[in-house]
Amino acid sequence: MTTRRDLLAGAGAAALAAQLPLVALAQAKDSVIIAMTLEPPTLDPTSGAAQAIREVTLQNIFEGLVKMDRTGKIVPCLAESWEIAPDNVTYSFKLRRGATFHDGTPFSSEQVRFSFERAVAPESTNAQRQLFTPITEITTPDPGTVVIRLKQPTATFLYGLAWGDAVIVAPASAANNKTNPIGTGPFKFVRWNRGDRLEFERFDGYWGEKPTLAKATFRFIADPQAQVAALRAGDVHAQTNLSAPEAVPQLKADPKLKVSFGKTEGEVILAINNAKAPFNDLRVRQAIAHVLDRKTIALGVYGFDVDLIGSHFSPLHPAYIDLTATYPVDIPKAKALLAAAGFPNGFSCTLKLPPPTYARRSGEIIAALLAQIGINASIEPLEFPQWLERVFRGKDFDLSVIAHTEPLDINIYARDDYYFQYKNPEFKALMAKIDVTLDEGQRNEMYRQAQRILARDAVNGFLFILPKITVTAAGLDGMWTDWPLPITPLAEVRWR
Amino acid sequence: MTRAGASAPVPAKRWWTGPSFLIGFALTGVIVAGALLSYVWTPYPPTQMMILNRLKPPSATNWFGTDQFGRDVFSMIMVGARNSLAVGLGAVGFGLVLGTTLGLLAAIRRDGFLDNLIMRTADFTHAFPAVLTAIMITAIAGPGMLNAIVAIGILNLPYFARLARGVAIQVWTRDYIQAARAAGLDNVQISVRHVLPNVAGVIVVQATIQFALAILAEAGLSYLGLGTQPPNPSWGRMLNEAQTFMAVQPWLAIFPGAAIAIAVLGFNLLGDGLRDAIDPRLRRSR
Repeated sequence: MTTRRDLLAGAGAAALAAQLPLVALAQAKDSVIIAMTLEPPTLDPTSGAAQAIREVTLQNIFEGLVKMDRTGKIVPCLAESWEIAPDNVTYSFKLRRGATFHDGTPFSSEQVRFSFERAVAPESTNAQRQLFTPITEITTPDPGTVVIRLKQPTATFLYGLAWGDAVIVAPASAANNKTNPIGTGPFKFVRWNRGDRLEFERFDGYWGEKPTLAKATFRFIADPQAQVAALRAGDVHAQTNLSAPEAVPQLKADPKLKVSFGKTEGEVILAINNAKAPFNDLRVRQAIAHVLDRKTIALGVYGFDVDLIGSHFSPLHPAYIDLTATYPVDIPKAKALLAAAGFPNGFSCTLKLPPPTYARRSGEIIAALLAQIGINASIEPLEFPQWLERVFRGKDFDLSVIAHTEPLDINIYARDDYYFQYKNPEFKALMAKIDVTLDEGQRNEMYRQAQRILARDAVNGFLFILPKITVTAAGLDGMWTDWPLPITPLAEVRWR
Repeated sequence: MTRAGASAPVPAKRWWTGPSFLIGFALTGVIVAGALLSYVWTPYPPTQMMILNRLKPPSATNWFGTDQFGRDVFSMIMVGARNSLAVGLGAVGFGLVLGTTLGLLAAIRRDGFLDNLIMRTADFTHAFPAVLTAIMITAIAGPGMLNAIVAIGILNLPYFARLARGVAIQVWTRDYIQAARAAGLDNVQISVRHVLPNVAGVIVVQATIQFALAILAEAGLSYLGLGTQPPNPSWGRMLNEAQTFMAVQPWLAIFPGAAIAIAVLGFNLLGDGLRDAIDPRLRRSR
């Protein structure tokens, strides 16, 4: 008897299972499930540094006065337009009419002032407070206008307003944004099953062009193999950045999927402790630069070509110049430089590696490359908290491998106390000048000069740009394939 | 048969022809030979990377194929065997010497203070899941081969301590111990001259079994990144690295997996074979 019931139940389940693909297909036209590797700890981009918060909320739930488009350009968003007065410190923003928050609160200049003042308030946990510290005064002559005055001309001010840390929040809902985010964006928050998924739906009161998707789900899949399996099974329609580069050939061969390779702002470097002997000797760093065969390293890490860099700058920026030929691979020359520095037989040092695969694999290859000139780098794998504690904060290291993922972060080389401890007054002066130069052409010229200085000084071993491997279902368009800012704007995603 | 005691001579049956022993001997022989050979010869240097030749299947030039850096897997397995055996030897040696000593000390005065202290400590150590404890120890002391040896060695301690004590307590009841005592030998002298030789056989058998477990534990620790560190090849780490390449190059996982299986099986069978011959308790139970 039970057997028969089991059989019936089994048959029912089978029938259901058979229907499922049809249901999924019918739903697919206005809903999407996008997988990402890391789950955000909260949903409030103004109160935490985690990149994953921005990745899901920026330009979906929350918006800023301006936004970055997929090419890295700053375009209007909640501010329709803006004017910079001839004094170069007064910015007048004309705000978007008809924008409302998801709870119905109308958007106005008051919320802009509230948001920016909140960001620098003493109790603020904003991860990028320096974006707002140049502000001396915010005035709201009328609900549709905000005037912001700065201490001094700040070239990157507008750029920073496109970041997740500068989104506009409303006084009534700001405190709850960590778990129930309310913004002005094209999607509103529905549900968050921690550890599994986050659900959004289209906000029908959106001021701009309505998204074609009615429903969007982010799923969090950390395991690389599980990512591949979910994509191949059709459980998810996209993966924002695949963690399993080795699965690329397999996914490429699948006609149901398409794979694109894009750039990010993540410069992967062999970090060198510039303050510590023997690495404080330029010749030693140059010798290292001459053995770093970037192409080999990138191929060993990914199995396909990625963008190689010769300085601390992403090819996504218009000021990028290719400096990979500054110190071409040249073993005899590297040996000669080491000998000139007093190490004809090389020396021993440590290579401390954080957990990401790109770091561990690059590290193993680099250790083998350095061995060619007698530098015996012993590998020490560290967990991330240890790495932050010992290498990043403690500066207790010789060599390390890490990606610097913040956009346009070349100015870290102007900080004396930064972990690789590069000290160059010329470079610092240049960075200070860039900060106050508003002309883009001039600024880009200075960025080029800065790149050349870092390449020439072989401050770190500049390796490659972290690739963004976007995998989508064949019919899904509009996912960002480059990451000038690591976000996934859903309004641009649509089914063909 | 039931009369035979620990002092009985080894039976006439030629135990070294038993199937367990022979198979175990052959399997461990392969591993040990590979490890020894790796000191003088490997097809390629095990750390030599040829990135352009990465992820190749087994072929005439690379018998077990190449890994993600284009290193020769066969060479890595050979040197990995050396590392596994070194950790096994170190860890078992550590546990054997210290554990047996403690076990003999404990047996001197049954239920005395020392006995209780040693045995309760052994119980305490033994109560924790073995590999978990090893993970804890290496997480605290830092990853590396030496720390792995100590961690696995500590886990081996209670096995040897208990076994040594158990057998030694039986030995202490024998007439010749009374005779030795009457001859004026002190407890330590009796332990070394009369108890230890009678315990040794059982300990050797146990060591073989523990050796297999130690190799497995080392592979586990290395798999978790806590054992032998790169670029030094290790079977466990090879397995870990192969995991992400399962779909494209399954050979990468199969060879180190097989090596671990052969080594563990080999030492277990060898231990079984030896036990058939030496372990007095087992013989009595026949």
